[in-house]
Amino acid sequence: MVDVRLEHLSAEFTHPARGTVVAVREVDLHVQSGELLTLLGPSGCGKTTVLRIIAGFQVPTTGRVFIDNQDVTTIAANRRDIGFVFQNYALFPHLTVQENVAYGLHVRHLAAADIARNVEKVLQLVDLAGFGPRLPDELSGGQQQRVALARAVVIQPRVLLFDEPLSNLDAKLRVQMRGEIRELQRVLGITTVYVTHDQEEAMAISDRIAVMDQGRIAQCDTAEELYRRPASSFVASFLGRTNLLDATFVGRDGDCAILDIEGQRLPVRTAAALEPGAAVRAMIRPEAVGIGPPGTGLRASVLTRTYLGDKVEYVVRFASYSLHIVRFNPAENERFEPGGEVRIELPPDGLQLLPRG
Amino acid sequence: MSVLSIRAADPLRTAVLGLIWLLLALFVVFPLLMLGLRAATDNGTFDLTPALNALRQTNTLRAFFNSLLLATLVGLLGTALGFLFAFTVARARIGRTMAWLLDTATLLPLISPPFTTSIAFVFSFGPRGFISHGVLGMTNAQVYGLRSTLVAEALTYFPLAYMALRPMLTAIGGNLEEMAFSLGSSRWRAFRTVTLKLTVPGLANAFLLLFAASLADFATPLILAGNDLPVLPTEAYLQITGMFDLKGGAVLSLLLLVPALLVFLLQRRLVARRSYVTMGGKGVRATAGDSVTPNLRWVLVGGCMLVVLLIFYLYGLLAYASLVQAFGANGTLTLAHYRVVFTQGMPAIRDTLIIGAIAMPLGGLYGVLVGSLVGRVRGGQALELVSMINYALPGTVVGIGYLVAFNTPPFLMTGTAAIIIACYIFRYSPSGIRTTIALLAQIDRSIEEASTSLGAGTATTFRRVMLPLILPAFFAGLSVVFIRSMTAISATIFLVSIHWTLITVRILENMTELSLGPAAAFSIFVIAVVLVVTKGLEVLLRLLGGRSAELMMVEHE
Repeated sequence: MVDVRLEHLSAEFTHPARGTVVAVREVDLHVQSGELLTLLGPSGCGKTTVLRIIAGFQVPTTGRVFIDNQDVTTIAANRRDIGFVFQNYALFPHLTVQENVAYGLHVRHLAAADIARNVEKVLQLVDLAGFGPRLPDELSGGQQQRVALARAVVIQPRVLLFDEPLSNLDAKLRVQMRGEIRELQRVLGITTVYVTHDQEEAMAISDRIAVMDQGRIAQCDTAEELYRRPASSFVASFLGRTNLLDATFVGRDGDCAILDIEGQRLPVRTAAALEPGAAVRAMIRPEAVGIGPPGTGLRASVLTRTYLGDKVEYVVRFASYSLHIVRFNPAENERFEPGGEVRIELPPDGLQLLPRG
Repeated sequence: MSVLSIRAADPLRTAVLGLIWLLLALFVVFPLLMLGLRAATDNGTFDLTPALNALRQTNTLRAFFNSLLLATLVGLLGTALGFLFAFTVARARIGRTMAWLLDTATLLPLISPPFTTSIAFVFSFGPRGFISHGVLGMTNAQVYGLRSTLVAEALTYFPLAYMALRPMLTAIGGNLEEMAFSLGSSRWRAFRTVTLKLTVPGLANAFLLLFAASLADFATPLILAGNDLPVLPTEAYLQITGMFDLKGGAVLSLLLLVPALLVFLLQRRLVARRSYVTMGGKGVRATAGDSVTPNLRWVLVGGCMLVVLLIFYLYGLLAYASLVQAFGANGTLTLAHYRVVFTQGMPAIRDTLIIGAIAMPLGGLYGVLVGSLVGRVRGGQALELVSMINYALPGTVVGIGYLVAFNTPPFLMTGTAAIIIACYIFRYSPSGIRTTIALLAQIDRSIEEASTSLGAGTATTFRRVMLPLILPAFFAGLSVVFIRSMTAISATIFLVSIHWTLITVRILENMTELSLGPAAAFSIFVIAVVLVVTKGLEVLLRLLGGRSAELMMVEHE
């Protein structure tokens, strides 16, 4: 089995207009054997650069890359035994589907019969049996994507690398293809690094996700952990929707910390030791916020109500914040119209403390 | 890209690059320097007096003025015709037959020897012309002068404007015009404020292309301009061949060089600002929409048809003249003129074909090499610029430059086939260079990386991925070099000798001897050969699995 390790990876570029640009800063990462790890982040966060460094298309300024405990930092891309799936597929336009898939096997000097057998097998695997003689531009986007996938896996690479492979497909196909990629990866058991900026895609496909921000890895964990216990405001707001409230720590009440938000008191279940008067940030997911008819408790006014079938989304004004609230499968008579007063609940278990800034 | 593979490829690339710079120095820079030197020195000492004297002659100034006037008028008329054709194709929803007619009518002038239109003009409007004498019964028709020269050149060169404007108008598409309608604009207003405005750089580019083509045109004025309209290329030629005054010819050609370089640099700036994204691919299917009313559509189609008919009429006249005893006097059908072509003309045909057959592969290879180096080496911009010089200069300048430069040891090449071949390669390969650059720009970096990630080294990637992808550019280069080696005259008229001569020179000789029949037969023969060879190249490319590339640069002689 094969793992990938990145140690203190940094990458700098000289940009003609902006001078030295640091794309990757001190990245340490360990991709386990057979794992699918996703690098998730906004554009420009350095995720693609990390991927290209693993592939060998780019040389890091400092740091080392290990594949299967072998230092490959200075080894050429064509000797790393990787499979790369490009955002634009990068199929060879002059070669047929068959020839595209066979390319890596030809380069490896396999016997013609073996090549034919392998190509046929992998085309069946990606559901493209019979498409062998076609040229890439005779295929749909989804089919081209499958050819790219087949071409990358047929060489039985030690590591599979995906660079935003689904971003050129329409929404429905994206969902279908990500399922197929995940299934294929699980069947083949190839250690995989996957780059995307789509958090839903990342959550659906990954064993673990490394959230990147400005060249650094902000947090690396399973989707569930990242969602439930984000380490920073950035991770909290990048993964799923969230409400962030700036507050002051007032004191403790049992295992809860009491916060002051613009004059309103709010208990948060936390073990964190805080100095009275400390500035903190509280986070709560939209689905954790309760809403009901006016009464005792926190008061808010409804700004908008959006009906989405299986759920209703509200934006309410609470103190100086616009809070997002999601009600899943709400009762038919539960209607809070814009302009109306409501009572909201911010349960102590739904709230979490994050460092400010 | 691995550090190792770059290092391994370096010596080869450096060697090729060095060789190309050496060739450019010898065949582009050196002749120009020698030309300037010849104009500015006398008996080995620096002396501008003879040059200034030549400039002071009224004839020189008249020729300079006439050249600029003619080029401006041809630019305007040709651009207008080109726009008419391009707009009709892009907007008037023409059928397939009509499209074929327009394509053929615009292709013919591009592949014909340079005298074709002029000879046909003489047949049509000359003293014994079909229209002037045959239809109108004039006995002393005056075909020579500004009017015929202007119309003949405009008809010869407007396809350049058409080819430059059509992709642009197609790319602008009807959507933008529809948007303007939807905002309440009238058709005319939408055309004026959207389409025309967006086409302005293209129109300017087309005008400059035609201006340069007319400025450099030697053949048309030689036949049609007459005594009252001296222009620089013909004056320089007469100076050298008539009066054996090489220095006077050099001075005149340098005078031609100034506006030509100016136009070239202006045009580069224009094109640099324009995006090539929509060229080369299939382009967006024009949604013709409502941009053209049915009435206007008929006006457009009618206008194009008129021009198409005129072109077909001229070529028909030429074919007819090649098949009758004596045009205008004796209409008996005969193959005598073709017999002349294949007997007395045989040496010229053989020489031309040999030279073309050698220049074609060398030029194609040179184009692909330079084109793929430009984006990958330091100084690529300079390389591209220098490689364009001989293309941008009028043939007269290049021809006289070669004549001056390669007349003495150590580079004694006068009278050889090599000098003509070199002239063709460095003058007509830039089309291949530009097409290669444009093709490579379309090939995403990830295609190379995909090959690398699959385990292929630099050599394999080049051979199996890059080479097949630039094959169309190679073939485009081949066909342009071949077409031009069959049809060029403005530069090579100075380079032919008793050992090596060319068909185009034979046509000129026929014209001066007033053997119009053989001249017509020669022209038809050249057109036939060019058509057969270029079609053959297309078929070969398709057999090799390539798709033909749209030329990235429109060509002129």
